[in-house]
Amino acid sequence: MKDVMKLVGIMIISFCAVFVCHLFLNYYMDLIVLKDDILMGGMMIFYEAQLSTAKLISFISGGCLILTSVIMLFFYIKHYIDIHRKELGILKALGYSRLKIASHFWRFGFSVLIGCLLGYGGSFWLMPTFYATQNQDKILPDMTIHFHFLLFIFLVVLPTVLFSLLAIVYSYYKLRGSSLTLLKEAPITKAQSKKYNNNKDIPFLTELRQSTVKSKKTLAFFVIFAAFCFSSMTQMAMKMNELASEMMGVMMMVIGIILASTTLFLAITTVINGHLKTISMMRLTGYSQKECAKALLGGYRPMAYLGFVLGTIYQYGLIQMMLLVVFKDVAGIPQYHFDFVAMFISLFSFIVIYEIVMYVYSQKIKSLSIKAIMLE
Amino acid sequence: MINVKNVKKSYGAMNEILKGISFTIDEGDFVVILGASGSGKSTLLHVVSGIEVPDSGEIYYDESNIALFSDRELTQFRKENIGFVFQQYYLLPHMNVDKNVKMGADLVGNQDYRKMIEAIGLKAKMNLYPSELSGGEQQRVSIARALAKKPRVLFLDEPTGALDEQTGRQVLDYISKLQKQYGFTIIMVTHNENIAQMAHTIIKINSGQISHISTNAMMKTAFEIGW
Repeated sequence: MKDVMKLVGIMIISFCAVFVCHLFLNYYMDLIVLKDDILMGGMMIFYEAQLSTAKLISFISGGCLILTSVIMLFFYIKHYIDIHRKELGILKALGYSRLKIASHFWRFGFSVLIGCLLGYGGSFWLMPTFYATQNQDKILPDMTIHFHFLLFIFLVVLPTVLFSLLAIVYSYYKLRGSSLTLLKEAPITKAQSKKYNNNKDIPFLTELRQSTVKSKKTLAFFVIFAAFCFSSMTQMAMKMNELASEMMGVMMMVIGIILASTTLFLAITTVINGHLKTISMMRLTGYSQKECAKALLGGYRPMAYLGFVLGTIYQYGLIQMMLLVVFKDVAGIPQYHFDFVAMFISLFSFIVIYEIVMYVYSQKIKSLSIKAIMLE
Repeated sequence: MINVKNVKKSYGAMNEILKGISFTIDEGDFVVILGASGSGKSTLLHVVSGIEVPDSGEIYYDESNIALFSDRELTQFRKENIGFVFQQYYLLPHMNVDKNVKMGADLVGNQDYRKMIEAIGLKAKMNLYPSELSGGEQQRVSIARALAKKPRVLFLDEPTGALDEQTGRQVLDYISKLQKQYGFTIIMVTHNENIAQMAHTIIKINSGQISHISTNAMMKTAFEIGW
């Protein structure tokens, strides 16, 4: 249960996914009921645009976030098996079957349940304000919020069951091999040795920086994703005042910052925790705290800025697509040009936040007790 | 060269590990700290090597009292003076032998570090990873890593604890030969009284206090001692 509590990352992403999806899908389903009441041409165009927006946002945000949750779940399970391989090997050696051990991994779905329930409840709480904002010009008739049981099944029950099953299947796959394989330290394969390269002519710290990134590609993905979320959501949020509503802007900003900080926190914490012995040995040998931090975390900086660039392109493309496809017939929608001011504000904030996080973790390296780690 | 004066160290109010330890070690000496499990010998090694700060007392390396050093000063001190070898090797798993040794060498800009790999007999295995080496080979790599930074003092914490007799003797033989070649000081912690016969100075420690210090004129080789 203690390890399941570490799944806070999946919980937060599930929360965001269900929060956004439920808000827009509930709105979508309540809009459909109004179809027969929509008669006028202008009203119909607005109505259709609202339907399309709700669908698009649910699918894009929901899809991206669910995909990220799945990757995060796999990452957590792999990480869990890696750090508990000896205990799992002992269980196997004692006679527990692979399926029996894997079946206990259903608990990983528990974090999804909590996240989904909170997201579902949270969106219901915000729904009256959301509905009012979406129809603030009173173009559509008054709308009543309905509880859609189907949405509860699809957004809470089904993800929990699917994630639990996924956890069992994936852990079953990861636990293949003999108990001895689990008990021993995982050997470096030929493919891995090629990957790490170990070029003889480059300095040790450069080599360490490169091998740290190469050895944990999922973490590189999370760093890119964190920067991507921050960049796209904050820049979109700044345009929402003109394109949608202030409330949408605030919502996007909050979700973007939460997603980015959670993912970045997860990635960097895992890097540090996965290299405690390396850090300890380096500090012991005489490498300074700055050198350790630079070698272990410095390799992720280019990834972070790549994520920021991708996020910028994504948000521009998404808004353009919405204006060109969804709102093409709606009158009074402003033209959208790339907002350099928003980009620079977002970039500046990102640099400040990212560097503060790196500084905090660099200080964490300083406070690590060399002796405590060596005695583990 | 090393002068330890009345060093005390506790973990919590009721758990005093070192109860006023004092001794002197000369440059180039081979010292063994001998004691049973829980006697405080590893804590003593950590304190004297600058991994930990004592609660009270003085630890002089020439004229500098490292007990008063800040964290940054201790890091610099370890960088310039100290090499470590542990029972568990602590090699970096994603780095091959060459890179693991380079970790130590780069700190002092030692370009000739491969001579050290050659000296420990692992030239042919330079591109292998720790998981591809035997326990004895891994320990030899950790010795090469420690010596590649040309330390004045090499600290060894039960270096043969995880090795069988034959491999243990080989590792000790390498250490002893390298000391004769490079002239560094050795401070080795062990519970094995036989290994102490290789040392010049033997410090026996019991319940956080020194019970006996002796010198051994007839230092034996790794293949002459019992096991």
